[in-house]
Amino acid sequence: MSLAHQYRRLLLAYPRAYRRERGPEILGLLLDSAPPGRTRPTLREAADLVRGGLRCRLGRPASRTVGVWAVLTALICGLFTAALAARLAWETSRPQPDRAEFTAVFTEAFPGHRLSDDVSTAPALFVYYNQPLRLSQWRGLVLGDGGEYQEGSASGSASGPMPTPPDRTLTTAVRRLEADGWQVSEPTSTVLRTCDAASCRQAGEPVETVLVARRGDTVLRATFNDPDTYGSYLSVEVQRTTPPAVVPAAALAGLVGGALAWLAFGWASRRTDGRRGVPLLLGITLVLWWTPAVLATPSLVGHHLDEPHPSWHPLWEWLGQPALSLFFLVGLAGAATLSTIALVPRREPHPLTLSPG
Amino acid sequence: MTQMREPTFLILTSLAGGPRHGYGITQEVATLSAGRVSLLPGTLYTALDRLTAQRLVEPDREEVVDGRLRRYYRLTAAGLDALTVETGRLRQLATVAETRLRALRPRTA
Repeated sequence: MSLAHQYRRLLLAYPRAYRRERGPEILGLLLDSAPPGRTRPTLREAADLVRGGLRCRLGRPASRTVGVWAVLTALICGLFTAALAARLAWETSRPQPDRAEFTAVFTEAFPGHRLSDDVSTAPALFVYYNQPLRLSQWRGLVLGDGGEYQEGSASGSASGPMPTPPDRTLTTAVRRLEADGWQVSEPTSTVLRTCDAASCRQAGEPVETVLVARRGDTVLRATFNDPDTYGSYLSVEVQRTTPPAVVPAAALAGLVGGALAWLAFGWASRRTDGRRGVPLLLGITLVLWWTPAVLATPSLVGHHLDEPHPSWHPLWEWLGQPALSLFFLVGLAGAATLSTIALVPRREPHPLTLSPG
Repeated sequence: MTQMREPTFLILTSLAGGPRHGYGITQEVATLSAGRVSLLPGTLYTALDRLTAQRLVEPDREEVVDGRLRRYYRLTAAGLDALTVETGRLRQLATVAETRLRALRPRTA
């Protein structure tokens, strides 16, 4: 392949219309600058052309901030695409544990403890108020209750008095779980603030101890509580971990989504250059998309640091979705409006014209 | 106008000597900076697009040499003004620095 041909391939980073107008000129400069005997572009040249082409795709050559806006757009769109792919890849998971599986795990970990009859199981991998999500529930999902959409689980609690002291119950559970192949994390204890009065502090606040263990694609979370406050001294939850397909699917979709968003941003940016209100609308859209992520991420980081998580919370929860899906949807309307403005035909910017000096 | 970056200053300076095509600009910039600044084509055309949008530079003429298209660029009146202002700013900074250095030398000698 000739050097000129290789340079032409690198020039594909530039938009087609720009290549048509300036391609021969840039190619001429590249060939003029190449020392004799060069057979292929240097890495520095290639990186420079790709960078120049990606910048050129954004249009607005005099703007110093368009690149920042493009990065913010591509990043959040990539994350949304990755979250969608992650949700789809979750379908490769086994169903959430049923009553029989839950009972077997409970009995295995807590022998001698009586499981109450009200074991609840999840009818779907992800549930909304412990029911499969239905289209008719969109109003609740969008208007404030989106946080109720979460991974389903089988859960239940012990009934009656604790047959052994708490420390012994915990030690026995850890020993038995490890013997049965569970990876058990160090139990964590938190003092719960149930009231602010001085008398409460004197009496001693209840302590919550959490034991988390994982075996294969299943996670067990046992919480030891004050029975006077919570009705049971032990509640147990068993659910599936993130399936192996989720991370690669999300990473791939994120890259593709981000790249497509960059191209779409560039297309819209070039076609809306000089149109009033477009930067403001883009700013509003990005604020609506980024705000839920900025609010959700620190809180989830804190949550993850507080207790062991063999399986991370799903990506969409880190993006504040669907808890703040109203923000996302209004932002989507903003993006659709921007695309519509870009689609409206306009007079093409003046091609590079020569004028006598 | 925001403060001019060095490659932009050098491109405008190279065009102050008369219209030049892309290759001519890169050669002149290398000469002006004593080889310190070497503009690659992607960077040069990003800068030329920006300067054209800011109306500091405009296309002058085209010619084909050995089958290769060369488009010449020239400074506009606004480009000349911008270069003059920036040159004055750099001269003033250099003068201040020289004054301080002259005052410093007797003490350090």
